[in-house]
Amino acid sequence: MYKYSDIDKKIIASRVKQFENQVNRRLEGKLTEEEFKPLRLMNGLYLQLHAYMLRIAIPYGELSSKQLRKIAFIADKYDKGYGHFTTRQNIQFNWPKLLEVPEILSELSSVEMHAIQTSGNCIRNISSDHLAGLTLNEIEDPRPWCEIIRKWSTFHPEFSFLPRKFKIAVIGCAEDRAAMLVHDIGLRIIKRKNQVGFEIFVGGGQGRTPIIGKKIRDFLPKKDILNYLEAILTTYNQEGRRDNIYKARIKILVREFGIEKFRSLVEENFSKLSNKELEIDDKSIEEIFGFFRLPPLKPNTNQIPSKNNHEYQNWIKQNVIPHKIQGYSIVQISLKAPKKPPGDATSNQMIALAEISEKFSFSEIRVTHEQNLVLPHVSNEELFNLWNQLKIQNLATPNLGLITDTICCPGMDYCALATARSIPISQKISSHFNNYLKQKEIGDLKIKISGCINACGHHHVGNIGILGLDRKGQEFYQITLGGSAKEDAAIGEIVGPSFSENDLIDAIEKILDTYKKHKRDKSDDFLSVFRRIGIKEFKKDLYDNFTKKA
Amino acid sequence: MVKKLQGETFLLSANELRSGKVVFFTSKGWSSSSSEAIKIKVDEIDRYEEISIKEEKKCIIISPKFVELDDFGNIKNLRDKIRNSGITIKI
Amino acid sequence: MIILQKKHEHKNHYKKIKEQDFLEKNIRNGSILSISQWREAKHLVQEQKIDVAVELSSNACSLSDKDEISKAAMVQINFETFKDGRPFTFAKILRKKHNFKGELRAVGHVLPDQFVFLIRCGFDSVEIKEEDKDIWLEILEMDEGLYYQP
Repeated sequence: MYKYSDIDKKIIASRVKQFENQVNRRLEGKLTEEEFKPLRLMNGLYLQLHAYMLRIAIPYGELSSKQLRKIAFIADKYDKGYGHFTTRQNIQFNWPKLLEVPEILSELSSVEMHAIQTSGNCIRNISSDHLAGLTLNEIEDPRPWCEIIRKWSTFHPEFSFLPRKFKIAVIGCAEDRAAMLVHDIGLRIIKRKNQVGFEIFVGGGQGRTPIIGKKIRDFLPKKDILNYLEAILTTYNQEGRRDNIYKARIKILVREFGIEKFRSLVEENFSKLSNKELEIDDKSIEEIFGFFRLPPLKPNTNQIPSKNNHEYQNWIKQNVIPHKIQGYSIVQISLKAPKKPPGDATSNQMIALAEISEKFSFSEIRVTHEQNLVLPHVSNEELFNLWNQLKIQNLATPNLGLITDTICCPGMDYCALATARSIPISQKISSHFNNYLKQKEIGDLKIKISGCINACGHHHVGNIGILGLDRKGQEFYQITLGGSAKEDAAIGEIVGPSFSENDLIDAIEKILDTYKKHKRDKSDDFLSVFRRIGIKEFKKDLYDNFTKKA
Repeated sequence: MVKKLQGETFLLSANELRSGKVVFFTSKGWSSSSSEAIKIKVDEIDRYEEISIKEEKKCIIISPKFVELDDFGNIKNLRDKIRNSGITIKI
Repeated sequence: MIILQKKHEHKNHYKKIKEQDFLEKNIRNGSILSISQWREAKHLVQEQKIDVAVELSSNACSLSDKDEISKAAMVQINFETFKDGRPFTFAKILRKKHNFKGELRAVGHVLPDQFVFLIRCGFDSVEIKEEDKDIWLEILEMDEGLYYQP
């Protein structure tokens, strides 16, 4: 993974000092809260329901064991002993004190980490595919490009006061495991006539107005990527709405202008304002790629150990996939254990994982946008040992991609914007479906839960989406069906009136009944069935049988 | 802050600037316990709003808000309840 | 109010003409005009070869005719709020596309934390309260000149 140069270290250290200065001025009253707020947001510090929240950047989801240990240390010393992994591959602490944040940032900088631009109206963490560099059908590893774009977007003098937040995702193959099509800018690495370059999408997003990104460029040569991103950001910075925060994202601008007009503005900026210094030469590309080479893996014929243990077998089947190097596997760690808050890890788990990654995966861990973790390079013969160690830490739940592997925002338990709680819903689903065979029968199914219409839980792109609402002071839950965050991206459709918390599980069971009724064979998963039969069947079965009207 | 307030009785609440902690305005200043908080009637809102502005200027608190109480003097809406009593889940 | 040009305090060579005093005969070296006043007085300025400034609001700078504006000796952006990022792009375009060589000044609501960003985008100077000079210089001093962008 990427290692900081001396310049990187100096820049981060300088930022820590600068934030300390800003905190002091705030405490002395030399900065009002209105002035301080954008500055603290640019350093990842939110104010939530109970306390401040600090969001730490995990660039494109890559972590070293050393960094994970430091995160655990910070969780114990400055917080309540746990952290929450987010849908943008970052990690959040829910209880930091403003006074201690400069110290926390200083601790983070000692392991090449920071909280820069994880909030605020600026370019956020560049997210990516958690299997980057690991699969055979990849055109090119997207992580070096994420790193190049990360640097370019950090403390950008022109784009630090955008109309609204800005999210970029980069993937390197046909499969989209990063929800690229619902990002402000989505980049896919492709090959055209033997040349590697980018396919570029713009104006995707969720929130109150979910929109799938539109293609703005069919093919862009690699070397031009930063200039092209500048052209898009220049257009957005100038033209994006600033009168209404709910209409300020680039997706609204692209929709208002239409993709043709928007494209012509961007192409004009690209041709008139490009900076030769922003072109990336082959030497720089090679240098950055050097940081992302595979560890010394030796192809071998070692098989996955076979054991007479159902739990282990289920875990192999569900959470382990083949690495592109023979003899190795990619291990996915579910943070959706029954009764636990989804996406959370305790400091004990983090410390254990740091050790585990050192022993089994070359000290590398990754964070997925679905709030799980990955050990990218595990030798097959070690898998049973690994499983045992994960089990001790409650990190071996065999539910990757199944119904209990939900995506879930913090919801009203933590968030000042929420209209309902989301974590208890995820836990209810987790308990109710807590049987591997039952889950396997249901098959691949993504449930995504948001506690309000800001959609931080990505409910719009869940196969089943759940949106928490406030109806006359009571929590109610609206269900959408048919969403997808993959390369076949789709926004879910509302199935009908919302359900109380008590009725929600029954509603989900009814929906599953309809699905099972029309399921043809094992490979016919929920989304396939939905696309074939449409929402009417689900609506009918769900509401005809539901006499209690919400 | 006061434009859309419904209800008759309120508490004044905020977050402590330095720690982020949720606090309530009592006769002895800010406290993390809502049970000691001053119960504010609708016609007193303006006076307490002025107090909250002064307290913010003193860099003691941020994000002041009025929390509505029900007829029994308890915190009315769910978000405010959770804000008062803490997260509803086990970590 | 003082004018800060990087580390140095400068004399302010420019002064606004009040709307009610706007008559062509009142325009002289150092006048700051609004964009509409500038349009009216452009020919005069060019004839008399005087140095005149144009002031734009941060709200209006994006849609402005930069070609026209680039003919002024000094361009001043009045930040209605420091959160408005449009002047930064305006500065880049004015310099790069329209080859503006005059002074570019930020006035209004700007934070010392934005000083380095302003300079890097093409601004020369800011107008600030005299009592804030120390904090602006302190923050400028913290900058080590290390950036990720050219």
